Amino acid sequence: MDYYIEPLKLDCEDLLHRFQETESVRYEVFAAVWRKMDFPSIFYGKMAANEMRAFSRLILTTAYPYFLPPYSFHIRVGGLYLLYGLYNTQLASPKEKIRIALKDWENINKFQEDAMNAQHYDVSYIFRKLISEKAFYFAAMPKHLFFRVKRKTKRPTVCDEFWDRPMRVMDLVTTETLEEIVNVQEHYEKAKQAICGTPGQPDPAINLVSKDLVQRLHSTVVTYHNWLDEAGGKKKERGDADAGEGTSKQSEASQRAERLASIKSKSYGQAVEAVKSRRHRQVEIGSSETGGGQATPRRNKSLKARITKKMTGKVKEEILSGETTTAWRLSIAEQKSKGKTKGKRRFKW
Amino acid sequence: MAASSSAGCPTPAGANNDIPTYEYVDINTRPFHVGAFERLWKETLKPTYYSFRDAPQETEDEEFAQEMGVSAETIDELKVICSPDTLRCYPENEPPDKNVVPMDPGLRTLRLRKRQQDYKETLLRDFTCRQHLYATELESLAMGKRPADPEDLVPEGEFILSINVVYPVIFERFKHVRPHQTLQVLGSQKLTDLRDAICCVSDLQVSGEFSRSPDMAPEFISKDHYKSATFYLEGTFYNDMRFPECRDLSQTIMEWAKSHDFPTFQTAKMEETTFRDLKIKIGYPYLYCHQGDCEHVVIITDIRMAHRDDCLDHKLFPLLTYKHRVMTRKCAVCHLYISRWITTNDSLAPMDPCMFCELCFRMLHYDAQGNKLGDFLAFPFVDAGAFN
Ligand SMILES: [Zn+2]
Ligand SMILES: [Zn+2]
Repeated sequence: MDYYIEPLKLDCEDLLHRFQETESVRYEVFAAVWRKMDFPSIFYGKMAANEMRAFSRLILTTAYPYFLPPYSFHIRVGGLYLLYGLYNTQLASPKEKIRIALKDWENINKFQEDAMNAQHYDVSYIFRKLISEKAFYFAAMPKHLFFRVKRKTKRPTVCDEFWDRPMRVMDLVTTETLEEIVNVQEHYEKAKQAICGTPGQPDPAINLVSKDLVQRLHSTVVTYHNWLDEAGGKKKERGDADAGEGTSKQSEASQRAERLASIKSKSYGQAVEAVKSRRHRQVEIGSSETGGGQATPRRNKSLKARITKKMTGKVKEEILSGETTTAWRLSIAEQKSKGKTKGKRRFKW
Repeated sequence: MAASSSAGCPTPAGANNDIPTYEYVDINTRPFHVGAFERLWKETLKPTYYSFRDAPQETEDEEFAQEMGVSAETIDELKVICSPDTLRCYPENEPPDKNVVPMDPGLRTLRLRKRQQDYKETLLRDFTCRQHLYATELESLAMGKRPADPEDLVPEGEFILSINVVYPVIFERFKHVRPHQTLQVLGSQKLTDLRDAICCVSDLQVSGEFSRSPDMAPEFISKDHYKSATFYLEGTFYNDMRFPECRDLSQTIMEWAKSHDFPTFQTAKMEETTFRDLKIKIGYPYLYCHQGDCEHVVIITDIRMAHRDDCLDHKLFPLLTYKHRVMTRKCAVCHLYISRWITTNDSLAPMDPCMFCELCFRMLHYDAQGNKLGDFLAFPFVDAGAFN
């Protein structure tokens, strides 16, 4: 059955990708994409009853991660709808259940609250409906574990386009990390002074890290944040014009969009606060870089490209190599790669 | 046996240790206390979430409306918008043939299935695996079963553990596949309940030569003679000490460990320990040892809350949900029945050793009065597939 994992993943991602492109979190929009792809046919074809059950189990396990972080709110909504669709259209009887792991419950709960606060009633309703239909197993882990150490370990992948990237950046560059970097840099400067001949005069040849590293990092993040706000604003406008919503619901729709935006900005809030608290370090860079966030689009683009390349490109590389450790590597990716490689080496029997 | 947990995924600081998390992703979890884990789930969920009964539709809708802070009309509207009918991809009265993969499917999964099925059709014989058919039978047999006596109903919020017991590699043919049986036990059950439910041929083995008194053989079944058994889980040996003749099977290991500077193991009584009392890792191989040296790898593959579609008859637990079907060795004479005897130095047999079913063995080796004919040694034989 394992040979289905890869195509199943690709099919789910294809569906979610199309859903993401609609820029709407409405269930009706999802259902239209679902029907267009004829998704229920994924269960078609002659299969013995037990095969059918195993396949249902596999597809639900495959779809489950899209309902969780690190994926963006939009993808997680799609993940929930996808689980709902698969649960209802599967051909096993009684229906195979969706497994929820205890460790994920808090995240799911938060998601549900966010959806409720943003008045995404369809999201809340579908979740509640699955609960009341007893569609879930409340389990220890998302799947059965058999200590199956595979010879050929498949590298875990997190679909790049579905990440909530802005959050990642904010998570990485916080007050604490900046302070930490300042500390490390102070040590570095001291160490430089200690090893050179003339006391108090570090060798100018040792110049691996620029002195204004922290300021530059800080201002880069602030610019990026502003750029995101702008891009988000544009998206929001387009979202409002979404033809899916009737005219009578127009105001409600825009309200929803605003709420969604506010949910998202909650996660930025933290970083904005961090920025404020460091005002004393901000003197030189403040006005020129962050003033109103009015950078030109071209420049924004290059900034985005730069950050995307630096951040995700590197993240990906490291996930794949699974070796280096970097402060900002995501815990999930780290767990996966570490677990795979080390687990494989350790257990032999 | 126990790999240090520091080698796996890092433990998030301040995390609750009784929330199961991966030690090695997709392989096994960190150790956690089963009872504490169960409590955490139960504290989190509303009892209606795991109740075995359905709330009436009206109350449910009301609850929805209240929780979401919307009017009953909005709920009615949502019901239509979110109806499962929206997922249907064909006109209501024209369902497609679900046994057929549609032409030119866009989904990758279907393209793969189509390739497989096209290939299958080129084969002359249909290899529907009997192993699998049998497994389904077992699984679906108990699904949704309710007890005749309401007293025996599994309580709501009870937890079910799935446990794989692997057959020992005492038979040559078990070397390559790892046949196992899967049992479901309840969190409230004792380890001895599982021990009594594990069926292993070595429990039925009869040791000795019985050519002179074949009728005596059944009295010497090992299970009745060697009652000791032990589970090894997370540094503790749980010994079955229910009978006075039981011995602590872990003793030799404990002593060896002491003399070799190993960390000391704990011991506890199997009959006094419920699964809820355990601290375990899911997915991690542990040990079950009985008959002195018959060792089985035991893996707890899952723990989850009981669901209304589960077998809910307390008396049927531990519940066998999967059993590997083993090829049986047939009698050398009739080729029909499973072998019960094995003979050596047998002038009547075509080979040495030779297997016989009960009937053929008696007919060939004894006269009508039950007197032994000719010279041979006879040992009772229990086939590994005798439980199929
Ligand atoms: Zn055994
Ligand atoms: Zn025979």
